[in-house]
Amino acid sequence: MATEANTSAPAEPPQAPHAPETQTAQTTTEKSQKETQPTDQKAKGEQPAKGGEPAGEKKLSGAELKKKAKEEKAARRAQAKAAQTSQGQPSGGQEGAGDGGKGGKGKPKQDGQAGGQHKGHHAKPAAAAPVVPKEVKPAVPECFGHLSMARRINITQADKDVDPAVLVLGQHMSTFALSDSITRLEATLYAFKKVIDSYTTPIGTTFSRHFTSHVLNPQIDYLTACRPMCFSMGNAIRWLKLQISKIDIDLPDLEAKKLLCESIDNFIHERVTLADFVIANTAAELIEDDQVVLTYAHHHLVQRALLQAQEQGKQFSVVLIDDAFERVGVEHSKALAAAGIPVTYVSDLGALRSNLRDVSVVLVAAEAMFSNGAMYARSGTCDIAMAAKDLGIQVVALCETINFTERVSIDSLTYNEIDPERLSDVGFRLLFDTTRDRYISTIITELGNASPTAVPAILRKLEEL
Amino acid sequence: MPSAVAGYAPNLDKYLKSLKGQPLELSIENLVSLLKRRQIKGAEPCAVATAHIILQVVARSKWQNVDGLLDNVSRVGRKLVTAAPTELVIGNIVRRVLGLIRDEAAEDRNEPQSEDPSDGHATPTDAVPNSTVAKQDSAGGYLNNSPGPQSRPGLIVSQSSVNIPKSLFHLLSASPPADSDHAPGSPFAGSGTSTPQHHKNSSSQVHALRSEVIDGIEEIKDEISQVDDQIAALADVQIHSGDYLLVHRPSPTVERFILRAAVKRKFTVLIVTEPPRKHLAEVQHASFRKKLSAAKITVVNILNGGLMAYMARVDKVILGAKAIVANGGVISDAGAAAIARAAKESGNAVIVLGGIYKLSPETPFGEDEVIEWADPSSYVDFADGQLVGSVDIRTAATEMVPADLIDTYVTNLGTHTRDHLSTLIADHYKPEDIDFHLWDDARR
Repeated sequence: MATEANTSAPAEPPQAPHAPETQTAQTTTEKSQKETQPTDQKAKGEQPAKGGEPAGEKKLSGAELKKKAKEEKAARRAQAKAAQTSQGQPSGGQEGAGDGGKGGKGKPKQDGQAGGQHKGHHAKPAAAAPVVPKEVKPAVPECFGHLSMARRINITQADKDVDPAVLVLGQHMSTFALSDSITRLEATLYAFKKVIDSYTTPIGTTFSRHFTSHVLNPQIDYLTACRPMCFSMGNAIRWLKLQISKIDIDLPDLEAKKLLCESIDNFIHERVTLADFVIANTAAELIEDDQVVLTYAHHHLVQRALLQAQEQGKQFSVVLIDDAFERVGVEHSKALAAAGIPVTYVSDLGALRSNLRDVSVVLVAAEAMFSNGAMYARSGTCDIAMAAKDLGIQVVALCETINFTERVSIDSLTYNEIDPERLSDVGFRLLFDTTRDRYISTIITELGNASPTAVPAILRKLEEL
Repeated sequence: MPSAVAGYAPNLDKYLKSLKGQPLELSIENLVSLLKRRQIKGAEPCAVATAHIILQVVARSKWQNVDGLLDNVSRVGRKLVTAAPTELVIGNIVRRVLGLIRDEAAEDRNEPQSEDPSDGHATPTDAVPNSTVAKQDSAGGYLNNSPGPQSRPGLIVSQSSVNIPKSLFHLLSASPPADSDHAPGSPFAGSGTSTPQHHKNSSSQVHALRSEVIDGIEEIKDEISQVDDQIAALADVQIHSGDYLLVHRPSPTVERFILRAAVKRKFTVLIVTEPPRKHLAEVQHASFRKKLSAAKITVVNILNGGLMAYMARVDKVILGAKAIVANGGVISDAGAAAIARAAKESGNAVIVLGGIYKLSPETPFGEDEVIEWADPSSYVDFADGQLVGSVDIRTAATEMVPADLIDTYVTNLGTHTRDHLSTLIADHYKPEDIDFHLWDDARR
């Protein structure tokens, strides 16, 4: 949620300070109106259905579509207003604030947000009176209430402005079919390209002024609702909005779209494809003969680096410690073994020190890097890094610079995500943890190897680029 | 025996029931195989089983003197220790019993010794009791010259180590004859000749010793059964309202501890569960959760292996010990070391619970030595040929938590720091028994 607030900030100053409370109010009202909608459809079942419905909509011309959407929105807003007034006290104070920010372009964003965000767990108590028939999510323990969580959203509940490509993407993200930050980033940018492609600037406005607030933001809100945005997505969206705002007002639509799509392609190429290539190469070069490399669970960057080192003819072995509650390492170890690397698969963090004893280097991939040098990665990474550092073993983190964020985190509960798949009345799982800079020896980025304390410097450099 | 196993899974209860009807040797062999097959496992069951079988050894095996008894007990103890080398409690119980026998023997020896001469030479020592200590001392010294070595044979098992504690023991004991007994006794010249003498009154002595040792073992058994309660009594001191407690696969001891605190305090418990095994989806620690919920305590099962993510919130980490080694390291379920390390990183207290019988005088040479490797097939499918064929798979069941990660040890005797453990070890074990499991059977 915080990510989303941040990304919207530069493009839309009036929206920037929208506090969670505002969202909560919106959420509450939205929720009460949503109750009437049939919601028994499962997200899975709907995926095929999606092909038909939005396609039909698409046959309408852009202008018609827009008009229709506007009408719907207006109706919905009226309904929401009514609900708000009838609901009274809980949202009363917030309503003014919400309306204040609503002027013009702010409005659709909030609508979209409400449509998606109405799951926000803090909103729940407020709407408790008319209990919602939709799938009852087990309560998040109070102490972790501030953390966000991915959530399956019925396609029917999504904002009407959401592009079909983004709809599908959202479903993939909420079901963790796309889970790591770089894959999500790539998919998001491709989906946005489609959104740009299918956009036509309405008469009386310009691309750069209309697109972001009326078309792009609903997509972003929907995606955020499906799963909280990762830092790389935040960075990329901020970049994209900047590019849009830079587009010359007089530029014809077609060319503006072409220009934008090209720069998105370049962005993906530079920051993702090439970055991965460089990082995997650098990491592979780091591995020497007769070394034992330890890695945790699965990350495509690590896998790529290891396979590359093997291709280079290096004789090394791998100790793979798996995440005990999400065995993604099994496939990883099979892939490595198939390539001829001797692999030791360790099922959990038990006997960690013993497993680390012969290891020469620990290779992990980061989900994000904070500007204080802390690494945001799969939960469990920190424990391994600490144990490794205790034993004097190098800890190398692989991370594309697009994952760097200027935010600071000193503990793992500042930014984290709850695993929706394993959240039940009894069980609870966090997806990430934060490894402090002192437990990381080197970060390998596409700009070269750096010490964790150099993250702010890299961030500055990126701003200049 | 395999046929019997096929019908039902043998466990501690069934084993204990079987003890009465069976010949001693068969019972021992049964226990050895049960331990080897991990059909009796865990600190408490192992301790109980050991206490029972040692009691049988004391009661039913053939022995003529203290020496023989010590031999029998340590021989059986060695078998059990070899059967389950990672269960350090087995060795602890055997050492406790050995120490007990030595104490009883020393008492027996002192009583008849001080009486025998007083019987024979009558009144001098008795009539002039403590008023002239010096005189009595010298008299006793002469008088006890021959009985001194006479009592030795029982302790010949390891001569060199026997001397030190014996002199220590006698220094502390108030009886002067015993004191003097040591000086002439140290040259072991007369030991061979004196042994026959010993047999004269051995039958009554053996009988007395037997019943006293059996009483002592019964006390150890009682102690084991009361440990959880006694530890739980200390819960209120450690757990406060509003605490966030993290427990790693709570053992009955830990559960009792927390439930006791739940009577008075309101706190939150995070339970770190065992990784789910294939096809098993039941809620772990369900009964514990139920009891806590009944006490209005918030319980959350944590489905993470690495616990660093939660440490910012957690106040105390409570670990149940399988054994506590001499240097303060704790043997616990796999994953505990990572948790303790994470707690240390965030400055959270790590509290270890374990009965004093789990405190072992041994210190393993390396952490690897005490790791018990588990069956990886519960996590990895044997049908997965690609994995089974080419990948080396490891799963640990237990591991050692390094001593420097632990803040407090709570035992049935109270709350201790790491430095205090050596005192406790000295209180409970005799130095000459510490290495009993390394003795060679032939060295007797």
